[in-house]
Amino acid sequence: MLRTFLILASLAFSAATVGLSAAQDIRVPSSIAAGDEATISTTGSGKATFYLIGPSVSRKNDVNLGEEIKLQPRDVQIAGNYLALVCSGECRSANFYVSPAKPAALTFLVHPSRVPVAQGDAISGVAFPFDQFHNLVLAPLTVNFQLSVSNSAMFSRQVKTQDGAAWFRTSSGKSAGAVQAIATLNDVSTRRAVQQVASDPCNLRIKGERTKTGLLLETEPVHDCGGNIVPDGTIVTFTANEGDTRSTVDAPIKKGIARAQISGTAAATISVASGVVIGNELRIGAK
Amino acid sequence: MQSASKILSYSNSRRGAAVVALVLACGFMLSAADTPVNVQLNLKKAGPRQVESLTEQAILRDYRLAWTSIAQAFETSSADPLEGPFAGEAKKQLVDVAIQQQQSGLSQRYLNQTHHLDAVFYAPEGDVMELHDTAEFQLEVSTGGKIIHQEHIVQHYVVLMTPAADRWVIRHLQAVPQF
Amino acid sequence: MKFTLPILLVAATVGLMVVALVSAGQAGGTVGIAAGSAISGLTPKASTPDQGLTNFLVDVQRRNWDRAFADLAKSSAPDKESFIQDWIGSNGSLRSFSNLESFEPRPMHANDNDAQMRVRLHWTTPVGPIEDVRDFQLAKEGDVWKVIWPKIQTLNVPAEVIPVTYLRWDLVTGTASEDWGSKNIDAPHVRIISMNAVDSAEGVVVMGEIVNEDTIPAFVNVNATVLDGSGKAIDDETSFDKIDHVLLPKQVSAYRIDFPNLNLRDVKNVRMDTKASLVPASADPVIGVMNQKVETDPQGKTVLRGDLMNESGQTVNIPHVIASFYDNNGKVIWVSDGYVDRALLPQSSEPFAVEVPRSLAGKVQGFHVVVNQYSLGRS
Repeated sequence: MLRTFLILASLAFSAATVGLSAAQDIRVPSSIAAGDEATISTTGSGKATFYLIGPSVSRKNDVNLGEEIKLQPRDVQIAGNYLALVCSGECRSANFYVSPAKPAALTFLVHPSRVPVAQGDAISGVAFPFDQFHNLVLAPLTVNFQLSVSNSAMFSRQVKTQDGAAWFRTSSGKSAGAVQAIATLNDVSTRRAVQQVASDPCNLRIKGERTKTGLLLETEPVHDCGGNIVPDGTIVTFTANEGDTRSTVDAPIKKGIARAQISGTAAATISVASGVVIGNELRIGAK
Repeated sequence: MQSASKILSYSNSRRGAAVVALVLACGFMLSAADTPVNVQLNLKKAGPRQVESLTEQAILRDYRLAWTSIAQAFETSSADPLEGPFAGEAKKQLVDVAIQQQQSGLSQRYLNQTHHLDAVFYAPEGDVMELHDTAEFQLEVSTGGKIIHQEHIVQHYVVLMTPAADRWVIRHLQAVPQF
Repeated sequence: MKFTLPILLVAATVGLMVVALVSAGQAGGTVGIAAGSAISGLTPKASTPDQGLTNFLVDVQRRNWDRAFADLAKSSAPDKESFIQDWIGSNGSLRSFSNLESFEPRPMHANDNDAQMRVRLHWTTPVGPIEDVRDFQLAKEGDVWKVIWPKIQTLNVPAEVIPVTYLRWDLVTGTASEDWGSKNIDAPHVRIISMNAVDSAEGVVVMGEIVNEDTIPAFVNVNATVLDGSGKAIDDETSFDKIDHVLLPKQVSAYRIDFPNLNLRDVKNVRMDTKASLVPASADPVIGVMNQKVETDPQGKTVLRGDLMNESGQTVNIPHVIASFYDNNGKVIWVSDGYVDRALLPQSSEPFAVEVPRSLAGKVQGFHVVVNQYSLGRS
């Protein structure tokens, strides 16, 4: 009798446990694209608390077991791993992934923003495709990179993204000016600008004459070796050695020419430099 | 005499048990942010730019700090720890989680974190690095002081890091089913 | 008996007061009021050249101009206003923000009627302590010694209109929303072109030159970390004001980083780090450095002297000279700097001098001077 009672009791307990398990279960979609509506189905009956934890969400709702839980598009905008929990007494959990939607934007980084002309492998760019919810699209995609100067093409290459990144590297052009860099993916494109500037001064030459109070010195138009005028504001250092004294002036270039006044009446040897480039020497007699 | 020594050994064992219990309790009371975050970095696949030695050290340091900050932020449901190590979308998303946790009463603990990082892309100018992180940690979700979910997690992340003024920051952090 | 202690205390107090009032002495090293007089109006009689000069400088220190002017010899007959201006500075110069902290007079020669004194003046300024050495002539008038004040040459800058056509760069931060990559303007490219680490009396000095290789102005700072044999960092310091922070395109500046109380034998490596950022700037004013010459000053120190010439139309309030010295291989062996405590008026010049350490003076074969400048009210 006792044994029978015990067997019946354990069977009832197991049934109850199984019943509990069967009464509360959670099923999630196998895959969801970012921003899509989705539903999570539950089994059982009664009230429960639903928790959703994801890359940018952490919320709870009261739900009825046995009914579907609707996930709004805003709940699953961000790609990543989500944890769904349904708790009624004990908790049941399930994980699901949200994958990125189709690409809607291209992040395009181009360097440098200023580059000397005629430099090998001087310009580089990287592009990352993102969907409209700022999720990185990792599926292989073809990005078209183009560089142009004054509407004439300088460089063009198609690159397939690898792990969500596509990149290029190329030399700078021969002429100073603004370069348009464009990255295009299907109907999405992003523009950036690179300024090509003259390289270091080449053949730095000066001329000078004596005035009532000293010396008036001037460079010839300062170009780089490619013939590009060196940008205004570039500093040119004039040095005048008179006997055992020296005078220097750091003068900026204006419209390609730098000028300086140096006081002194003795015979002088004038030299000029800009950065690490040195120009010619000049000898001017005493007053 | 024998009963006295028995009493002594009994009280000693009780004291010892109390000490052990106290140590264990202290261990459990340690916050997730106090448990060390282990990070290993593999640079074999990094390119086209070669990763500099100082950059490697900085990435290790700042990635470790970032995940320590995530653990702290989610455990305390506060966005403050996320201020320094993150930028852009990554920061926005993590801050959203911290704020929503305050409203929902949830909190998460990330315990015993280990991160195996592979650098898979380092831009030619060194202004962005992509890493693949195979992260392993113990996740505890609790509400109202009660743990409602515990799980050992092995998660893959695609990470984009960019250099800031004095550190590298995580700009994008995206979990993926596989690399 | 019961009155003994109070009497003793009063007597001691009076005695100390008398000693303080009447004892003569130098003011060297004390802050504020010179020794010999703690109460205004009670300076000792200028019966010696030393006392006469001390009285004068105490009055200058206290900015008691009437009394200071009264300490001048009748034969000087200077203009009072220009005399005061000479001490307190003008045109927003460094002197305008400085205080005479202390002085140390030393007699050079003296007879019954005239004397020459050399004074080391210690100024406290916003850029740190500055020392100045000046010679004073004194003459005996009656039974007191008075200071002969030299005739001050006031600079007459003629009125004129000077067009400013130099380039100016402004920085526009942009209004685009946070879009990664859209606000990309690279930091200016700067490069360290030389570095030399030497031992000095105060510690290790790391110095060299840096150039702005870019086409836009750069705000630069140079930091250095010294490492021991195991690669561990011992200390890290920055150049502070021993660099021309705003470098225009292709401009070269010296830099100097001091590591006090460190010995070069403990240093196995130096790691350099440059920080360059975008900054609005102007190519104006252009300051010429004229008549540069290394020579020995009256105190026997080796100095690089010259004149700063302001070739623009705007006053330069606080000029700062940074000089790099080279050996015969062109290596930078020392970097000195110094502030000129007078403003540089438009189209005018002011002298400067920076010191070269005695141990290096013989090795100097060349030098290069840059002028940093701080102008009030300019961005």
